[in-house]
Amino acid sequence: MLKCKQVARLASDYLDNSDESINWKVRMHLLMCSHCRRFVRHLKITRIVTRSVLSETPDTDVDDVLRRIKEAAKPQ
Amino acid sequence: MQGNDVAFAQLIRQHQNTMLYLARSIVGDVFAEDVVQEAWVSIYANIGKFERRSSLKTWVYRIVSNLATTRRRKESRKSSLDELDGEVSGSYLDASNFKNDGHWKTPPRSWQTESPDQLLEEQQLKHCIHKTLDKLPDLQKSVFLLREIEQIAFEDICELLNISAANVRVLLHRARLELMQMIDRYQETGSC
Repeated sequence: MLKCKQVARLASDYLDNSDESINWKVRMHLLMCSHCRRFVRHLKITRIVTRSVLSETPDTDVDDVLRRIKEAAKPQ
Repeated sequence: MQGNDVAFAQLIRQHQNTMLYLARSIVGDVFAEDVVQEAWVSIYANIGKFERRSSLKTWVYRIVSNLATTRRRKESRKSSLDELDGEVSGSYLDASNFKNDGHWKTPPRSWQTESPDQLLEEQQLKHCIHKTLDKLPDLQKSVFLLREIEQIAFEDICELLNISAANVRVLLHRARLELMQMIDRYQETGSC
């Protein structure tokens, strides 16, 4: 049986579904441990919230970037 | 703007920031902007030759990665993997959070709100997420953005950053934990 310390370390791999045997071991631990269930749940919420915030298109001075690209691309 | 320029402007809007983070993680702050500028010129000149063997964004990021790596060699700068050594004290994975038997000594605190929709209404939290991301080490930030936001495949990230899959996973986990810890503090104090 995994310890909480190992589950905290493997939580991302578990959420990313990276290895079936790890997933199974983590799932077994989560059945028994409410602290780790909370830890994994908070990590999942963090992913959803940060993804949503950071996917918003940032401000970039596109015209300026495009102008510089064209200047640099001009034959000398 | 002509039609092609409008499409290209959209490409810039979508990828400029991730390109900068990616370049910084390979070549450092001083040369990152030059590298991204050089990459845009190359993309602008060669986009007609894009063969769709990969997605457009993977192609774009590969150009940045190649130029940044060449520049790093030229400047003889070593990519810092120091951040992979040891655990940051005060993080969730800090040994002091666990008893000798490996169980929690200080279990994770409960949160006042666990609803993502409710959390997303908080402007201050959004500001804190950007601030925390900015403070992450460059390599960690690049891995996080490439995987979590751009959803680039793990194997492509390894190639772009020239690091192993195990390193990608460690860096991704650390970045997520850093952001989770900030949300935890925010729930407790209302600030980052």
